[in-house]
Amino acid sequence: MKTDRSSQKSPILLLVLFLAILAGTAQALTRTEVEKNLLCYGCPGEPLNIDRCSRGDQMRAEIDRRLARGQDLETILAFFVSRFGEEILTVPPRRGFNLVAWAAPFVMLLIGLVTATILVRRWKGAGRSGKAAQGHGKTIPDPALRRRVEEELQQLEDEQ
Amino acid sequence: MNMVTLGNLSQAAAFAAALLAMLLLLLGLARNDLRSIEAGRRALAAVALFTTMAAFALSRLFLTDNFQVEYVASYSDRALPLFYKATSFWAGQKGSLLFWAWVLSLYIALVVRNTRNETRRRNTPYIYLVLASIVAFFLLLLNTVSSPFTLLPFTPPDGQGLNPMLQNPGMIFHPPTLFLGYIGFTIPFAYAVAAMISGRLDPDWLRKTRRWNILSWIFLTIGIILGGQWAYVELGWGGFWAWDPVENASFIPWLVSTAFIHTAIIQERRNIMRVWNMVLIVLTFLTCIFGTYLVRSGVLQSVHDFGATGLGGFFLVFLVVTGIGSLILIAESYSQLRTDHSLESLLSRESTFLFNNVILLAIAFSTLFGTIFPLISEMVTGKKLTVGEPFFNQVNTPLFLLLLLLTGLCPLIGWRRASIDNLKKNFLLPASLALAGGLVLFVLGVRTFYPLAAFSLAVFVSATILLEFAAGARARKRLTGESLLLALPRVLWRLRRRYGGYVVHFGMVLMVIGITGSTAFKQEKEATLRQGQAMTIGDYQLRYTGFRSFQDRNRTVYAATLGVTRNGRPAGEMTTERRYYINAEQPTTEVSLRISAREDLYLTMPMIGRNNEITLRAAVNPLLVWGWVGGGLMVLGGIMTIIPSRRQKRRTT
Repeated sequence: MKTDRSSQKSPILLLVLFLAILAGTAQALTRTEVEKNLLCYGCPGEPLNIDRCSRGDQMRAEIDRRLARGQDLETILAFFVSRFGEEILTVPPRRGFNLVAWAAPFVMLLIGLVTATILVRRWKGAGRSGKAAQGHGKTIPDPALRRRVEEELQQLEDEQ
Repeated sequence: MNMVTLGNLSQAAAFAAALLAMLLLLLGLARNDLRSIEAGRRALAAVALFTTMAAFALSRLFLTDNFQVEYVASYSDRALPLFYKATSFWAGQKGSLLFWAWVLSLYIALVVRNTRNETRRRNTPYIYLVLASIVAFFLLLLNTVSSPFTLLPFTPPDGQGLNPMLQNPGMIFHPPTLFLGYIGFTIPFAYAVAAMISGRLDPDWLRKTRRWNILSWIFLTIGIILGGQWAYVELGWGGFWAWDPVENASFIPWLVSTAFIHTAIIQERRNIMRVWNMVLIVLTFLTCIFGTYLVRSGVLQSVHDFGATGLGGFFLVFLVVTGIGSLILIAESYSQLRTDHSLESLLSRESTFLFNNVILLAIAFSTLFGTIFPLISEMVTGKKLTVGEPFFNQVNTPLFLLLLLLTGLCPLIGWRRASIDNLKKNFLLPASLALAGGLVLFVLGVRTFYPLAAFSLAVFVSATILLEFAAGARARKRLTGESLLLALPRVLWRLRRRYGGYVVHFGMVLMVIGITGSTAFKQEKEATLRQGQAMTIGDYQLRYTGFRSFQDRNRTVYAATLGVTRNGRPAGEMTTERRYYINAEQPTTEVSLRISAREDLYLTMPMIGRNNEITLRAAVNPLLVWGWVGGGLMVLGGIMTIIPSRRQKRRTT
């Protein structure tokens, strides 16, 4: 039994390990990747990867020049920030008040997960104590009868 | 009769009828007078008649080129093809508002008809009252600040025309389907509020509104997909979703309503999570209105430029009033809504649904928070900033993967209670397949985490769904002795409510494959070509072979032809265009697409230089077509779940 269990666990463990090793492997930087991080300086609010105006073209040409020189995303973005200020970025830099934006979703997720876990545990407890409190009367002593009830419940669920 | 007069009068009559309905219903409720309530019911039905007349008037004005009407002059011109003239109805805000009021009143008329024998019930008058108030709000706006029948002081010789970008079938049906979704959630919302006011808190309201919920969800899904499709084939930037505030405004209610549809199933089955479902339907409705507020107020910069339209304030007030009102109602009925929850096991379908809710809402929250963060940041730090695509991708991708994992786990875990051994038995095959799939991809050279995780999970979820299908077919075979081939479609059809849900999930899996393939493995290249020159991208070689220009209805078209070869073999021709529309300042690029199961070849021509030298932008988007197929399956699965069974039909007739 024991060996059986561990062999069933192993694929999942392997999967997790295998995926963890791969995390963070980088791909070559494309112009679109850079564009997504910048706004067109001529069109307020329009990301450069969507924009098609001539001022956007100037920015694209600059990106191409810098990519050809082998610069990485940070360096290219730093150049545009030095020219136009941080307003040119589509993503708020991760510092100061902006950290709130980055952290809030995960904090909420954590709160949600913890709440859901507590709720489920409490419901489970209620289910058990409820059953105990109800005492005999409602339990089904006959295993054949119990099986039939289970089967019919299953059938009912299948029909829905 | 003059159509402008007809329109104005009908709009005013519709508003008057809605107010009258509210008055009669309130009177009826106060005096406990059924006749008054019945009269209110009829007045409410009359709203649909008047809005239909107003809608007819506006359509006629478009079709007869009446440019003295400011709205017609702004969104149509003589050269516009008839189809687009008819659909310019909802091209701008004022017509959209009339469309909204019209559809809402038609929906209401349907509810009024279906409940004609239920006016004696305690909650029915309240349903009418809530619906009358909401439609009255829209009619108030139409009659006071945003009438599509406003006249210009003069008659211009021609209209300004419809933005060429909007002259695309996808775009024509994108706004109205989204509206149909948004508007549809009004009905369950009204039922929920009525249940709370009247104290009839049994799951009756949920059962009665199940189809409305799912239908609205289907429309919202179609609307979102059409928007993506339009962006992809029309805008020419090569993507389909940019996490723009207006896109997010449609995605947030979609997420919340998806959560609601799941927990509504639990309430129907177990009569638990009653408070939670109230909260979710209220949130769904509020996020729909909030989306409308975002779109119409101009508080955020968006690629969807609707401009500041002066309607934002009204929607904000409506939002705040509805929000606070609902909150008070939920708080007041909390003690009655509360049920003694009991679960037989931690490991049950009920608990996975709860966690699925948490993740869906976490995605909704991060999307909402990211969308309004520029406003928050400006209030706190005084600095203007943008929160764009990379933020949402980075934050939401892990959440989506978690959701996908749960989608796969869910069918493995039975209702009420699942035994660990059973789960393990069910788990082994899908997990091994997922692992094998991941390994194969790794060997084939996929070395980044997210795509590998997404594809492996896609295999996992597909396997669990297929196992579920197989189990159903086998059970039917045992029961009826039919062959598996016959048993499968029959069981799918007979239990379509359940299997429809799985079809939606499978659609989602395909969508994940399409999105992952086309974003993680996208190839792009740009080149300037003279006639005869060629560029290569991926397996393709594109040779610029011909150029021509011609006049076509309301536009001048410049078209470049490219001979395509794939791995050295000829693969036909593609034509990409730049179009200069009459009445439009900017030319548009016409995307040329070659779609196959493996990948899309996507061409645009951002520039034409001297001597017909062209700048060609080419992209190869692997597997994208599966995303659209998946979207179609999601809609199909949704439809499956709401087709009534014969038994139900008999009950209703």
